[in-house]
Amino acid sequence: MDILTLSDVSKAFGSKKIIDNLSFSVGEHNIFGFIGQNGAGKTTTMKMILGLLKIDSGEITVNGESVKFGNAKTNREIGYLPDVPEFYGFMTPKEYLTFCGKIAGIEKKYCDKRIEELIKLVGLNGVNKRISGFSRGMKQRLGIAQALLGNPKLLICDEPTSALDPLGRKEILDILSDVKKHTAILLSTHILSDVERICDKIAFLYNGKLALSGTIDEVKVFIMEMG
Amino acid sequence: MKQISAFIQKELLECMRTGKCIFMLILFVIFGIMNPAFAKLTPWLIDIMSDSFSNMGLSVEKVTVDALTSWMQFCKNYPFTIIILLLMFCNTLSAEYQTGTLINVITKGMNRWKIVLSKSIVIFAFWTAGYLLIFGITYGYNAYFWDNNIVSCLAFFAVCYYLAGIWLISLMIFMSTVFNSNSSVILSVGGIFLGIYLIGMLPKIDKYLPWYLLDSSKLLINDGSISDYRFAVVITILSVIINIVAAVFCFSRKSTL
Amino acid sequence: MKYISEILPFLIPLIIAELVLFVFTIRHILTHENYKCGNRMLWIIVAIVGMGFIGPILYFTLGREDA
Repeated sequence: MDILTLSDVSKAFGSKKIIDNLSFSVGEHNIFGFIGQNGAGKTTTMKMILGLLKIDSGEITVNGESVKFGNAKTNREIGYLPDVPEFYGFMTPKEYLTFCGKIAGIEKKYCDKRIEELIKLVGLNGVNKRISGFSRGMKQRLGIAQALLGNPKLLICDEPTSALDPLGRKEILDILSDVKKHTAILLSTHILSDVERICDKIAFLYNGKLALSGTIDEVKVFIMEMG
Repeated sequence: MKQISAFIQKELLECMRTGKCIFMLILFVIFGIMNPAFAKLTPWLIDIMSDSFSNMGLSVEKVTVDALTSWMQFCKNYPFTIIILLLMFCNTLSAEYQTGTLINVITKGMNRWKIVLSKSIVIFAFWTAGYLLIFGITYGYNAYFWDNNIVSCLAFFAVCYYLAGIWLISLMIFMSTVFNSNSSVILSVGGIFLGIYLIGMLPKIDKYLPWYLLDSSKLLINDGSISDYRFAVVITILSVIINIVAAVFCFSRKSTL
Repeated sequence: MKYISEILPFLIPLIIAELVLFVFTIRHILTHENYKCGNRMLWIIVAIVGMGFIGPILYFTLGREDA
């Protein structure tokens, strides 16, 4: 079954059409690479899936349920990692995750256990300082931990590796391919080597439309044929 | 309910750890002490100056101070109190828009109206605590030095001034959901306040406006009666409710988080 | 000088409160790296010159960083 489906979604800001009749779907245990230049509409698409932006036409469903702008109940099934994750600087990572758990309505005992697991998974164990003193890479790790907290069926990552050094990038990608066992992942990026390393299916977004999509191998064959 | 309490806890933790809470606590204590202090010092200052005045050929009457002088000082300091509170909290939403911290909270399934409600509860609570502190300290000193019984309708006066603060805070919360930067929030609250102040210059309308509540200081010297303020009280309460509902409405439709 | 004994009941708490506020403000300035505007030196001068409560008010409304 598909976790995420977009059918004929369009979005314009003023007279400028950002997304034009976009349709695609992401299945279970898939890493879906969403590729495009800066300004191609990747972040806009993700925000629409999260119900943070209103769609002009079309429909988005998450786990079979339609997404509503403003009050998206479907967000309970989604974990979101923003491109520049920002958290409350006055909290420690554990406090922040506990706060997220309460907001997401996760049962306390389970949540504490889950936080321990996740902090280990993203390599933040033993870090007890406040988030305001975190580096970019540490924030990215905490971002993954908070996104995975509620065992989401779908993980949305907006440019998770763009601002990291090669080592940090590899670590983040390893975490993501580890997570794949439990959740589907929608990943936006403009770094093709990352895509090749972990994605199962990819789609190129150009001028608000899908220029090309398929599995990695299909796309490779297509590009070779094009010469 | 769980979401609201978690968010309120987060807000309180922020106020504690960023020093907002302690700063306002000490400041309000100082403001509370200053009211009777000013009243008490007035005759002393006049005494000192009367020598130089009499040299210039002016005669200075002996002034008497009592609890009323101190309460009048309370009214004069009131605008500073509320302005500082508004300045401390005008970034409550805009700081979160700018860093994008609310996106995480909303994508965790937090209902938007609960964010507005939690923030309102916290700011109202700070105002309530701060106001009680200032009022209590002033009242205590007044009782010690003079006699609070010489002023009339003190309780009603206190409620009026408290409500006026609640009204300004609710207006600020509404504006925080409309505008994205804290300077526009402060400017719009100031603008609306100025507008209402100007409308209040028109005869006969003034007593229907929230700001008329601050005229209730006249009650202390037995000028007018409580029933003069019934419209202003009702309209202020209605306006607070409308502001909060409008804030929830605007915030639910906001896409620039 | 009968006034002095009369004003002591509020003079002492007032001085204590202002001192606490002053120390608290200086400590806050020294433990923070970034400010909304200005630099550390400026805010320390403001806090000292605006003795009492003006300096701290200015710092906490205009200088303190949102974090």
